Amino acid sequence: MFLLRLFMVAITISATYSIEINPKILINNVECLVDLSTQLVKGECRISLENNDDKPVNSILYAFEPSYKNHIAFVSAHQIYESNRLGLHVKPVALLGHGDKQFYQIDFNATRPLRLKSRTPIVIEYVLTNALYPHPEEITQKDRQLMMFNGNAYFYSPYKTLKSSIKFQTGTRRIEDYTIFNPVSLSSGDVIYGPYGSLESFAYSKVSIHYDNNTPFLKVTKLIRTIELSHWGNVAVTEVVDLAHHGAKLKGSFSRYDYQRETNSGVSSVKSFKMYLPASATSVYYRDVIGNISTSNQRTLLDSVELDIRPRFPLFGGWKTHYTIGYNVPAYEYLYNSGEDYLLKMRLIDHLYDNMIIEDVTVVIILPEGSSDLNLKTPHPSVRLPDGLHYTYLDTIGRPTIKLKMSNVVESHISDFELKYKFPKAFMFHEPLIVIIAIYILFITVIIWVRLDFSIAKDVHSETRQRISGIMSAIMYHIERRANVYNSWDEALNKLKHTKDVNSYNTTVKQIQADYKNESNGINELAAKLKTESVELTDKLNDVQKTEKLLKELYGQTQALYTEKLIAGKVGRNQFVELDSGLKRKKEECQERITQLLKSLN
Amino acid sequence: MKTLLTNPAGWKSLITFAILFLAWVSGFSARLFAVIRFESIIHEFDPWFNYRATAYMVQHGFYNFLNWFDERAWYPLGRIVGGTVYPGLMLTSGAIHHVLHALNIPVHIRDICVFLAPIFSGMTAISTYFLTKELWSPGAGLFACCFIAIVPGYISRSVAGSYDNEGIAIFALQFTYYLWVKSVKTGSVFWSVLTALSYFYMVSAWGGYVFIINLIPLHVFLLLIMGRYSYRLFTSYTVFYILGLVLSMQIPFVGFQPIRTSEHMAASGVFALVMAAGAFNYIQTRITKAEFKFIFIFATLVTSGIVLLAVVGLTWAGVIAPWSGRFYSLWDTTYAKIHIPIIASVSEHQPTTWFSFFFDLHILVCVFPAGLWYCIQEYNDERLFVVLYALSAVYFAGVMVRLMLTLTPAVCILGGIAFSKIFENYLKEETPPVINNSTKLIEDKQSVKDKTPSKSSQTAAGKSKKKPPTVVSTNGDCSNGEGVGSNIRSIVTISMLLVLMMFVVHCTWVTSNAYSSPSIVLASFSSDGSRQILDDFREAYYWLSQNTDNDARIMSWWDYGYQIAGMANRTTLVDNNTWNNSHIALVGKAMSSTEPKAYEIMTSLDVDYVLVIFGGVIGYSGDDINKFLWMVRIAEGEHPKEIRESDYFTDRGEFRIDSGGSQTMLNCLMYKLSYYRFGDLKLDFRTPAGFDRTRNAVIGNQNFDLTYLEEAYTTEHWLVRIYRVKKPDEFNRPRIPVSERKIRNPGASAVSKKSARKKKGTIYGKPVVVKGKKPKSTSTYTSASGML
Repeated sequence: MFLLRLFMVAITISATYSIEINPKILINNVECLVDLSTQLVKGECRISLENNDDKPVNSILYAFEPSYKNHIAFVSAHQIYESNRLGLHVKPVALLGHGDKQFYQIDFNATRPLRLKSRTPIVIEYVLTNALYPHPEEITQKDRQLMMFNGNAYFYSPYKTLKSSIKFQTGTRRIEDYTIFNPVSLSSGDVIYGPYGSLESFAYSKVSIHYDNNTPFLKVTKLIRTIELSHWGNVAVTEVVDLAHHGAKLKGSFSRYDYQRETNSGVSSVKSFKMYLPASATSVYYRDVIGNISTSNQRTLLDSVELDIRPRFPLFGGWKTHYTIGYNVPAYEYLYNSGEDYLLKMRLIDHLYDNMIIEDVTVVIILPEGSSDLNLKTPHPSVRLPDGLHYTYLDTIGRPTIKLKMSNVVESHISDFELKYKFPKAFMFHEPLIVIIAIYILFITVIIWVRLDFSIAKDVHSETRQRISGIMSAIMYHIERRANVYNSWDEALNKLKHTKDVNSYNTTVKQIQADYKNESNGINELAAKLKTESVELTDKLNDVQKTEKLLKELYGQTQALYTEKLIAGKVGRNQFVELDSGLKRKKEECQERITQLLKSLN
Repeated sequence: MKTLLTNPAGWKSLITFAILFLAWVSGFSARLFAVIRFESIIHEFDPWFNYRATAYMVQHGFYNFLNWFDERAWYPLGRIVGGTVYPGLMLTSGAIHHVLHALNIPVHIRDICVFLAPIFSGMTAISTYFLTKELWSPGAGLFACCFIAIVPGYISRSVAGSYDNEGIAIFALQFTYYLWVKSVKTGSVFWSVLTALSYFYMVSAWGGYVFIINLIPLHVFLLLIMGRYSYRLFTSYTVFYILGLVLSMQIPFVGFQPIRTSEHMAASGVFALVMAAGAFNYIQTRITKAEFKFIFIFATLVTSGIVLLAVVGLTWAGVIAPWSGRFYSLWDTTYAKIHIPIIASVSEHQPTTWFSFFFDLHILVCVFPAGLWYCIQEYNDERLFVVLYALSAVYFAGVMVRLMLTLTPAVCILGGIAFSKIFENYLKEETPPVINNSTKLIEDKQSVKDKTPSKSSQTAAGKSKKKPPTVVSTNGDCSNGEGVGSNIRSIVTISMLLVLMMFVVHCTWVTSNAYSSPSIVLASFSSDGSRQILDDFREAYYWLSQNTDNDARIMSWWDYGYQIAGMANRTTLVDNNTWNNSHIALVGKAMSSTEPKAYEIMTSLDVDYVLVIFGGVIGYSGDDINKFLWMVRIAEGEHPKEIRESDYFTDRGEFRIDSGGSQTMLNCLMYKLSYYRFGDLKLDFRTPAGFDRTRNAVIGNQNFDLTYLEEAYTTEHWLVRIYRVKKPDEFNRPRIPVSERKIRNPGASAVSKKSARKKKGTIYGKPVVVKGKKPKSTSTYTSASGML
């Protein structure tokens, strides 16, 4: 609040010198409609302006009564030009000698100034907050809530007014009292002061209206809105809300029985209210510090998501609550880019409930890690707090964070901000790479841990075991090679059987025998080594070797059968087949035994 | 000759790893029912304190936590939290939180607290595997691991959100036992140091560490008696005892208890005994047998006499505290009922019914005696340990429902051994494998099968250092099994598998239906099947936190103390750390007195609000009227002159709230606060106004008004009712006719009257009876919910 004031003063001081009230501007006619039916005071004044000066006027002033000064939340103006509404620029200014009032300067479009002797209709809209006072200040549960409004019967203006009237809409027929200040009339809840004739500038006559107002008097005392943008396609919005009922305070006890059974009990209390989220909002949550608030409903409408929010308990005057709302929206709806330049366009403030008042709001915008050159454009004056860094999942250098502060915010302030920034696309791979490297390091560590020996004492057992398994794997290698030798011997024998070419067979066998000798020697050498390590295994290996010798003999017999008998034709066909198959069977048995023995070796 | 096929060790470790991993995952997910059905929230009563303390520690740092004086509890006494709490739980989650935040992973401390117990249950499963593997075989270990992952007896204390000491303590218990068994086996200082460290963690986590410090000495003692003394035993016990003693004294809450209380004396006695045994062993090698016999008898007599005299003398002198009440109640189950009603009022401290043994353990309760028998039959040092573990745990589980928790791991280990043995006998490699991959248990079986044949070859190859002692016996049994026909074999196997499947179904069902309610959020189902959530507790607590003064003092029965402090962050008079019986009795007295008398107590205690739980509208049976008799009993224990239990019963000895109830009952504060304006409420068309659904009766005292209190808030279903205590200038005083009015000096007389009464009530009237309440040791088991 205070910061914002300072800020506004700072803007206005720069413009103070040139601003003066132009006495030549006249207000021909003004009709004001002030809506008092909610917790806000919403005014709309249709003003017919006339320029009696001898030069075109570029801007006019609009003034608020001193009593309104601290309540102004929002002012806007538009010009009705050939039945089109043209928005006008409005800015707060201060005038020397009028420190008690609040002025707003309304600038006409540079191409359409108010020309000499011409008239134009303009419409000014404003919203006042906290301008209604509960009277009495405390009520019991069964009482109705009465509000007091102190206003001005005249149109308040720095210019002369020729004709004016003000209509106060209370939205109820139960009007306790209102100031009689003729001409005044009352029709179905509307109190109309005027029409009055010619008025001097800054005409003021206090009027009060005391009436029934049981609309929700809810005020957000503090709101923290966090917008977290991810370039993976998501925008997460979180709103932390401190909500209070600022109507007439509850006096005496709260009776659940009356509240449940009697319809007119606690009429001013707020049981639930509606909140509208963007239509694409998903995974909405509504919770507080002790968990999920189960009493809420969500409905998806065509253009929005409607959230029926019911606080844990009904809010009576003076009661307060605190909750968090969060949701996700897809980034493509709000994020624009060209190359590495990005533009985020989103609502700075969003709807919390109808006719909301937010006393103090902090907006936090968190951009992806690696963003730079931030350039923010806000729709309404706000105070920018120092930027910071935010760290979350897998962040190393931190996400740039913008913080803004605004105060006295109402629904009319809902509009988009624009945030331009630069983001190198290669940065997208930053976090996946971190994960990959982390897993890689983990695996490497495990591999190193498992493969290397870190024990400080010598473990004789495991060393022996390792040595044995080293020798065993070498032996296995040789045995496998030897098995291959046998295979090629088989092939050679087969070839011999068909071609009966003894010479070529002999040359092949020579090679095979040499290979065989190599492998056998290798095994024998290793077996000698093994003998020193494990007697048990050596015994088993010896078994293997014995069986293997048998196998070799069988091969020798087969060879003999082929070369000496078959080729020489010493045996008959049948006899040969019989002998051959017998040998084959024996060979297979031998091989099977060896396989078994090897299995037990492992 | 392919290497993969000829290398079953690779397969074995892969399958072991896969089963352990799956056990962890399924144990974790079985505990998530409450999170999925409701939300990630802290459950019940004690967890709320633990959560609050953890959050405090995370926010203010460890040293500030140790020095934390909680002025929001036990008003006006306060509580020194750092010195009256086992900080292991908070430290564990705080450390996890710290590490995650150092890595920029912004996990909220609440989520860590909620998921801590399920994660630790996985670690419990792993350590059970190791323990059983040491005791029996890896196959039995896998069975035990799968059992403990899903057994309801353990799940009841470790569902997500049940953030209590037991959640991590069972892991610490199993791991300590594993390390102890390992150190007894190896006799290495390394393992015994690890045992002591693990014991230290256990001491920091749970008061149940006393179980360890008595069980391990008992084991050592048994081994000594059986003549199984060895240097391994000597090394492991002496190292463990000394280190464990020094370390356990570092926990502020434990302090000097290990050398000053009777509960810990067994350990030091056995330490002396081990020393003596070591000395005799040494002397034996130096002198002749006859001399030795003489010395032995003489020394034994003298030392035991001295030790006994010393212990008795020290106890008499008050250096050693006698057994605390809670421990007496372990031996004498009626002790608590007679002497300490506050212990008896907790449902968890009731003796266990047979039904709950089956409910919590299912088939394991039937097979674990078989496992026990195998362990006794083929005993060795470490199997004797598990035998002792099981026998003592069975006893304690029979005494108190909550000690079912310590029985569960023992039962899982022995059940695992029994099943492993059965499958070893009946699942030989010739039997065709049952092709069914849908259940995890079958995987177990296959792994067992895979391992059985490979074992002999491995040992032969010198791969495993020690030849498991089972091999010999297994072969013997196998030869017995060989005689069994393959049909019988497959019938037994399949029926065992079916039993195991039923076990899984039962576990899931129990977990889902009995143990997965957060108890602060109630759910009811309407006729069309839609679920309605009754969130009244949080509604009331949140109302308190938002709409009362920050230093408002709230009086309620002690059950809700932790929840009020945790959720509403307001000052309470009494809470679940029931260390001060007289303070609780004072609250009980206020609740059972009439309104004016209660007002005196409440003003003397600066009470601003009174909170009662009332279930009469929705038929919630755990409400304050149903607990009321305990309040009366506890109040009577301290104020026997003013409160008498018999006044609250009818002449026929019934406890009634309808018009037949006693007048004392119908006019006490608790009655009035529960039923204020309830007499007007008509719940439906069939019942008359003022019909209490919990007790199925129309209330007896209707249409009364409150003078000293006013309704401040009542939740939607009337479950929680909060009353504001009026200030003295706010009552509607009874009208006195003008003639009878007397003008007194208000200041002086009021003060003197009040102080006089106060003196009479709390100091002179107090009976000088030394009860079993020792503030330091009573909260060894910080008790949880106090439902009837």
